[in-house]
Amino acid sequence: MYKYDHIDQTLVDQRVAQFRDQVARRLDGSLAEEEFRPLRLQNGLYHQRHAYMLRVAIPYGLFNSKQLRTMALIAEKYDRGYGHFTTRQNIQYNWVTLEDTPDILAELAKVEMHAIQTSGNCIRNITSDAFAGVAVDEYVDPRPVCELLRQWSTLHPEFAHLPRKFKFAINGAKEDRTILLCHDVGIELKKNTNGELIADIYAGGGMGRTPILGSLIKTGLPWQLLPSYLTALLRAYNRFGRRDNLYKARIKILVKALSPEEFARQVEGEWLFNKDSDVNFTQAEWDRVAKHFTKPAYLSLVKLSDQQVINTASELERASFARWLERNVKPHQVPGYASVILSLKPHGSVAPGDATTAQMLAIADLADQYSFGELRATHEQNLVLADVEQSKLHELWQEAKKQKVALPNIGLLTDIIACPGGDFCSLANAKSLPIAKAIQERFDDLDYLFDLGDISLNISGCINSCGHHHVGNIGVLGVDKDGEEWYQITLGGEQGNDAAIGKVIGPSFYADEIPDVITNVINTYVNQRSEDESFIDAYRRIGVTPFKEAAYKNAKKKEKAEVAGDAS
Amino acid sequence: MSQANVSNSTVIAAHDQILHFPKGGKPNLAPNEWLIWNGSQDEGGLPDLEHGKQNVLVPFAWWVQHHQASDIQSKTKAGHIGVWFAADDDILKHAELIEEGKKVWPLVSAHFPIFRDGRSFSTAALLRDRFQWTGEVRAIGDVLIDQLLQGARVGFDSFALRPDQNLDVALKQFDLFSETTQNSWRDKRATLNI
Repeated sequence: MYKYDHIDQTLVDQRVAQFRDQVARRLDGSLAEEEFRPLRLQNGLYHQRHAYMLRVAIPYGLFNSKQLRTMALIAEKYDRGYGHFTTRQNIQYNWVTLEDTPDILAELAKVEMHAIQTSGNCIRNITSDAFAGVAVDEYVDPRPVCELLRQWSTLHPEFAHLPRKFKFAINGAKEDRTILLCHDVGIELKKNTNGELIADIYAGGGMGRTPILGSLIKTGLPWQLLPSYLTALLRAYNRFGRRDNLYKARIKILVKALSPEEFARQVEGEWLFNKDSDVNFTQAEWDRVAKHFTKPAYLSLVKLSDQQVINTASELERASFARWLERNVKPHQVPGYASVILSLKPHGSVAPGDATTAQMLAIADLADQYSFGELRATHEQNLVLADVEQSKLHELWQEAKKQKVALPNIGLLTDIIACPGGDFCSLANAKSLPIAKAIQERFDDLDYLFDLGDISLNISGCINSCGHHHVGNIGVLGVDKDGEEWYQITLGGEQGNDAAIGKVIGPSFYADEIPDVITNVINTYVNQRSEDESFIDAYRRIGVTPFKEAAYKNAKKKEKAEVAGDAS
Repeated sequence: MSQANVSNSTVIAAHDQILHFPKGGKPNLAPNEWLIWNGSQDEGGLPDLEHGKQNVLVPFAWWVQHHQASDIQSKTKAGHIGVWFAADDDILKHAELIEEGKKVWPLVSAHFPIFRDGRSFSTAALLRDRFQWTGEVRAIGDVLIDQLLQGARVGFDSFALRPDQNLDVALKQFDLFSETTQNSWRDKRATLNI
C-alpha cells in the first residue's frame, strides 16, 4: 500500500501543528466557537450529543496492521475502548475531548494517518472498492488514481469552503462496490482500445433529503487530465452552488437545476482554459505513487476448488465452515488466494461497524499472519483481509471466531448498515442502533437468513442518510414527529450496477413495530418468490403493493392516522 | 479603526493595517490607504473623499453603471478608484469591462460576506488564471486569520482583515506549511526528485 514520502509526512505533521494552534486559540477564547467550527470539522472533529467525535480517514479504505494497532490504542487511551467503522471508509471515536485531539492527531501522523477533510464543506475522504487490486472483475486497479487525487485534494485552497460537502468515489471494476452513482462525483476508470487509462465522470449523485443518482457528464477523460477537469467542475460548483439553503447546497441540486447537459457544458467551457496546464498529473507522479500498489509477494500456488477448501476442516465443522466460505470469502485474481470479510455485525451488536480495542489488536495480528499485514474497510462497515491463502482459510476462520468476527452474514439481512443515530449524533432525529439490534435479534437464525439470501437493510437516523437507507433493498429512516421517534420504510433501493433509490411505502411506524414490519415484508418475499429469486428481483417483478399491504397489516392505525400524509 | 469622516454604515469594516503578502515576498503590514465603500447612498455617488482616505474601492456592480461618469473617470485616472467583486458577481460575464479595468485599477478586491463562503477563492483564481491580472488582489469583508493561507494560495496578495483579528497571529500563518500537494497561483506542488 501507499507509503508516505517526506512531503506527505511533513504536510500531515504541519497540519497537526496548525490544528494544535487553532485549538489553543479556541481554548483561550480568542477564536469563537462559530469560527472554530469549520476548522475543527475539516479535521474531522464534530461536537456530538455527549462529547466530541473524531472521524479519522482511511483513504480509499486501505490500511495496515500497524495503523490498526494505533487505532486500537487511541480507542483505549482517549475513548472508551472501541472504534466505529463508518460507511465512508473512516473510523470514528465517540468520546474524545477537544484538548486531547491534537495529541491524537499527532499519534495518527506517526503511522501516516490523519483526519483531514473527513468533515466540513470540502472534498471529503475519497472512497473506493474495498477489493481494489484483488477483485476478479477488476478492469483497472483504482488505487494509484485514488492516491493521486487524495494528494491533489488535500488542503486544496480554492475548494476549502464549498457550498456543502463533496464526496468522490472511484471504481475500476465491472461490478460497482462503491455506490458510485450516489456521490457528488463518481469516477469510473477503464482502459480504452489502445490500453490507455481513461475515466468516465458522473456528477450530481447523492443521498440525503433529495436522493439522486449521478449523471454521466464526461467520457474518456485521460487520467492525467483529472486535476484540470475536476478543478473546472468544482469551480463551477463553488461559484454557483446554492448557499442560501443548507438542504439545497449539494452539487446534485445545481446539476438538476441546470440539467446535466448544461452543467457538463459549463464545466467543459471552464476546462478549455486549463486543460493543458501544469495542474495535470505527470507520468513521473504516476510512477512515484503506483510503485506502492504492486502485488505483494504471492506464492505460486494451485487454485483449490471449493470442495478442497471445505475439506480442510474436520467433518464436524464443515457445514458451518462452508457457510462462512459462501458468504464471507470472495474470489481472488491470484490462484490459491482469496479475500476474507470479517463481519463487524454480530447479532445483537451494540452498533454495526464497532470494533473493540482487543478485537482491533487481534485483527491486526491476523492481518500480519494471513494477509501481508494489510486490511481494507468496506462501506458496509466490515473489514477485509484481501490476500489470504486458500489453504489457510480454515485456520483464519477459527481465529476469527475467537474474536467474534466470523459470523457468516455478509450480504444477508443482518449485515445491516447503520449510522450511529440518536444515541450519539446530534443531527439525528431518531435512534438507529436499537433498531438494528432488534432486527438482528428477530432474525437470529442462520438457516433462515441463508434461505433468504442477498438482502440489504440500511438504517439512517436522519435524512442526512449516513446509513445509506436510500440504497438498501429495505431502508429504515428515523424521523421526528412532535418530539417522537418514528421510522419510515423504503423498499427497492439497490447499490451496485443497478443502483436505485428506494421508494417510501407510506406513513411511519413506531420503533417497536419495526421488527414486525420487517418480518411481514420478508414473509411477503418468501411467499411470492420464484425459485432462486432474490428479494430485489422479486420486488421488481411484483411491485411495492403486496409488500406495502403486508407492512401495514398490523400497524397501530390510530397513531398512524395522526401522521398520515406526512410521510415525506 | 473606523474610517474617518465616513459613516460606518457606508463602508465595509477593515483593519487599519493591511497585511500584504506579495508573491515571492514576505508578509508585512502597511497602513490601509483604501476605503471600502459598500455602495449605499448610491444617489449621491461616491462618499466624500476630500477629508478622509483619498482612495476608494467601489462595488463592481456600481462600476458597471457609473464608470463612464466624468468625475469617476478623473478620479480613476488619478489612481483613486479600484473595484471590489461581490461573492455573487459572475466576473466571467463582464470580461470586456474587466480587461479595460485592468489598465486603470490600482488594485481589485474580492469580498467575503462570511468567512465560510469560499466563492471569492474562485474569483481570485479566475482573476489570476483567466484574466492574468498581475496587480494586487485584496481580500475584504469577513477575512479571518484561518483563511489567509488558502487566500494567499488562490491569488490574494493583500488582506483587509476584520478589525478584531490579531495581526501578530495573522503574520505567522504563512509559515505553517512548507509543502503543498497541488498547484496554486503562488506555488507549484512539491515533487520528489525521482
